[in-house]
Amino acid sequence: MKKQSFIIALLAGAFALASCQDGNWDIPEGIPYGNNDLQAGTAVTIAELQSTYASVISSDSYKQITDDLWLRCVVNGNDYGDNLYKQVSVQDETGGIIIGINGSDQGAFMPVGQKLLISLKNLYIGGYGNMAQIGGLYNGSLGRMELPEWKQHVRLIMDNTSEAAAFGSMKVDTLDFDPNKTMAQQSGRVVRLSGVTISREGTPVIAPDDGSVSLVSNCVNRTLSGGNAGSKCVLRTSTYAVFKGITVPTEAVELYGIATIYRGTWQILARTQSDLAWTK
Amino acid sequence: MKMKHLLVALAFMAAPLSHAQTVETADVDSLGTVEEEFLTDDSNFTFTESQLGENDDMTSDVIHINSSTNVYTSQISWTWSGIWFKYRALDNAYNDIYMNGVQVNNPENGRFTYSTIGGMNDAVRNKDDVSPFEGNNFSFSGLGGSSNYNFRASQMPSGHKVTLSGANRNYTLRGMYSYGSGLSKDGWAFFGTIGYRWANMQTASIKGTFYNSLAYFMAVQKVINEKHSLNLATWGSPTERATAGASTDEANWLANDYLYNPYWGYQGGKKRASRVVNNFEPSVLLTWDYNIKDNMKLTTSAFLKFAKYKSTKLNYSGTNPHPDYWKRFPSYNYDVWGREGDYNYDNAAFWAAYDNWQDESYRQINFDELYFANTQLNKIGADAIYWIEARHNNHLMTNLASTYEWNIRPGAKWSVGVQMLSNRGSHYRTIDDLLGGQYFHNTNTYLVGDYQETSTEAMYDVNHGYQKLIEGDRYGYDYDLWNQDVKLWTSFTMDRDIMHSFITGKIGGRRMWREGFMRNGLFQDNSYGKSGIAHFLDGGLKLGSTVNLGKGHAVTAGLGYELRAPGASVAFMCPEMNNDYAQNLENEKVLSAELGYAINNKWFRLNLNGYYYRINDGNEWQQYYNDDINSFSYNSLTGVKREYYGVELGLKFKITSSLDILALGTYSEAKYIADTQVNWMSSTTGKINEEICHNKGMRQSGTPLAAASLGVNYRIKRWFLNVTGNYYDRIYLSYSTNMRYENNLKNAGRYHAGEYDVPAQAKGNGGFMLDASIGRQFFVFHHPLSVNLQLCNLTHRRNITTGGYEQSRSNYSVTETENAGTEVTTKPRTYNFEKNAKRFYAQGFNFLLNVNYRF
Repeated sequence: MKKQSFIIALLAGAFALASCQDGNWDIPEGIPYGNNDLQAGTAVTIAELQSTYASVISSDSYKQITDDLWLRCVVNGNDYGDNLYKQVSVQDETGGIIIGINGSDQGAFMPVGQKLLISLKNLYIGGYGNMAQIGGLYNGSLGRMELPEWKQHVRLIMDNTSEAAAFGSMKVDTLDFDPNKTMAQQSGRVVRLSGVTISREGTPVIAPDDGSVSLVSNCVNRTLSGGNAGSKCVLRTSTYAVFKGITVPTEAVELYGIATIYRGTWQILARTQSDLAWTK
Repeated sequence: MKMKHLLVALAFMAAPLSHAQTVETADVDSLGTVEEEFLTDDSNFTFTESQLGENDDMTSDVIHINSSTNVYTSQISWTWSGIWFKYRALDNAYNDIYMNGVQVNNPENGRFTYSTIGGMNDAVRNKDDVSPFEGNNFSFSGLGGSSNYNFRASQMPSGHKVTLSGANRNYTLRGMYSYGSGLSKDGWAFFGTIGYRWANMQTASIKGTFYNSLAYFMAVQKVINEKHSLNLATWGSPTERATAGASTDEANWLANDYLYNPYWGYQGGKKRASRVVNNFEPSVLLTWDYNIKDNMKLTTSAFLKFAKYKSTKLNYSGTNPHPDYWKRFPSYNYDVWGREGDYNYDNAAFWAAYDNWQDESYRQINFDELYFANTQLNKIGADAIYWIEARHNNHLMTNLASTYEWNIRPGAKWSVGVQMLSNRGSHYRTIDDLLGGQYFHNTNTYLVGDYQETSTEAMYDVNHGYQKLIEGDRYGYDYDLWNQDVKLWTSFTMDRDIMHSFITGKIGGRRMWREGFMRNGLFQDNSYGKSGIAHFLDGGLKLGSTVNLGKGHAVTAGLGYELRAPGASVAFMCPEMNNDYAQNLENEKVLSAELGYAINNKWFRLNLNGYYYRINDGNEWQQYYNDDINSFSYNSLTGVKREYYGVELGLKFKITSSLDILALGTYSEAKYIADTQVNWMSSTTGKINEEICHNKGMRQSGTPLAAASLGVNYRIKRWFLNVTGNYYDRIYLSYSTNMRYENNLKNAGRYHAGEYDVPAQAKGNGGFMLDASIGRQFFVFHHPLSVNLQLCNLTHRRNITTGGYEQSRSNYSVTETENAGTEVTTKPRTYNFEKNAKRFYAQGFNFLLNVNYRF
């Protein structure tokens, strides 16, 4: 009996020692995204930036930023809804601009409302369809910058930190869309359109991928008319957008999105389904 | 672990612990015993811990055959363990495992997982192994042979034994203790063993893995009288281990490591594994031996097993976070294969990716980033996009078996038996760790877009609506698969003149069904509740004979034909989503034949065998992500035709009383002999599509189809030395069905003038491996102390492939889908999936130092 008891005791001891190796894990501290060593230098606003490089932008050319300029901005649009593709839209109190980054799901790291400090030196700025964009060079023209490069140039500023104070009251705000505004005044900003009718050609969902409408870079452009849409305005939606299957309403509706412009035509990019206000 | 502790405690409560005066049995000690011990002591170690069932990326396990009647089968399991050699290239499902006469293979897939009896080596040594054409008294032997473990306490080794081991393999340290009482005068016998195996992230041979396994076995037997005896055995092996993944050669080269493992990463500076298996299968076996007469015996066993198996994996609804995702490789940016066509040649991106891979934090999972993304999303009330999921495959199995043996007269024996089995397999997925996230919704994100996020169609479980799921919740799928089998078998063996013959037959019935516990959004009327019941009737007949030609020469011949009912693991079209059975299900038909020649004399023992197996109407099932359709696809292959044939040679030559030479060799073929009908279903449309898979000529994977060994054993003055050279060749990787579907071949531009240009099956490297073993037995306090050092792969060959698989993605991307998916436009990809199979490689030099002391 003693021997069996010994085995049992040995077994119990072994169980006690054999604790799990894959135990509970704590949430890591710190910000493992971007360059936390960045310290702001000479600040520049988006309006100043677009003004400085206006000729480059309007000519669809590009230029490398050589000055030690720093941008404080807040994210107002990203790829969370899979409609903005490898782009982040940012704004400050003077304007908005699109940043091209060769990385997916960056919206998860930089949600709408996230404050960013960006070191602009060595990045490229230019125009695409006459709209301002920050990015990198790809095959000799302005494109998206590689993700590691972006991470070297950006620092995420968290609320309630000493660095956040320099942003003042900067936050994402919404403008009423005005078709007569200039690119600098309105692009890269969240805009509201109301009383607009969305064209319903092809399969009447926002972005059909069944060949019923022609695609432009995997996107469907549906003409917006009425309300404050003006005469050259489309709702541009990727066939990869998570809300691509929403039925196009027959009545006039309200919608929101990031205003972009391509050769004189305003293109509204809804960010998530909630920007399609009639679906709420 | 708390559950494990409780279950172990319950298991032990089931075993009576009373014990009386014992009769000690002296240990037999001879040089032969020393050799045998050194050769077999860790055979179970090799199979249960290094290879068997412990790699989730391998589709099947090897077979541990050890029939002593044949030099070849008695040696290959041990000698070729380093390469995961599969006997006759067969899946483990063709190897039937019994314990005290009751079959314990999992009826869902037919397999037995040896790891469930790992770490209890002293308890599992006592067994009968029979080759496929060998008459026996416990089974209709399987195509890959059968084994019957004897778990009776009175027949376990008596005395105490302590074993301590150190290794640089899956685990670093092992300790085992066993005690056997032998049979006492008043008819009681007790045997118990416990073992513990351990390695952590710092000591395990493969980076990012660990091993944490306890094992116990206890048996108590009461010999009531000359006629009746009862034995109760219980065992289990609660194990927690991190698994390693196969990788492309590009990944291995960039990481400068043949054993590069993409499944781990850093979190807060500490190594963390993403794929962790927790497995515990407490089992209880009650056996009643009834000696009816001197020549008649009835053995009845009842078996109960409650198996819990949980395997974790990093999952996501955002960007693929796996470090070996194909878009992260340099060759994604630059066509390194120099093909003609429209491929990228982005030199800068190529070198940027190369530079990234030099950084360990890039080539392993960045848990910190995943946590950060989720916590950022918490701020806007969004769903977590990264999490650790756990797939659970639990089983509750009961089996009752009874075997009647009648020694009719000397040389004539008849056995008949019945097996009645019920198995409930519970399969579900849970959220194991939200990685800092708060929740995600009960939504199949692959369907969002085609359906609104809140639509019922997109819900995993309509019964629970658009609810938030948190850690511990079940999501995705939750269902049971039931198998109920009854099998009758009989075997008759007879010696007549120069012939020893046997004939054996079986007949069985199987019924199965599925019971769903979620109402899937795409199959709202066909996923919740019970499916219809499927019935199968199977059976078989096998006969064989050995003709003794005199002077030690003999020829053997065997022939068999059997029907094998499909298991539940291949019987359903998509058990994760609905109750539908796969179409065209039939019994697998197996024809088997074997011819052998043997010489057996004082100095020389030779076995030469040839075999031929033909399998018709086989059933297979696969599931994988198919990026042609941006969905998972569930693939049922029916009417599969395969052929297995080959020759096997085993030769043992005794040069002197202390020196002998062992030679082993096989050259075999195991392949599909016809293209196969496939039905596959998309997880996002729910529609079933018909296809033809051009798999004719594809070979069985993960094993050398050609292998040879030459070994020398030397024994002198309690020393034992062994040196064995092994050569392996013709190793194939698991082929991708998707790459060979007729439509996909057309999309890939592999259809010309009515002919399909089917890609050749990816192969692995064979090569030479040198192993050695040295042992010595001492006597300490009049008891034997054995020391054995095994040295494997002495030449440190690291480029020998042990297995792997072709990736299921295509060499093109679908840019447009028209006419409801019947027509697609494609664009060639720079990354070449046909050239980037994932491979496992053999470990370089490795050792096991084993010390045991018996007293």
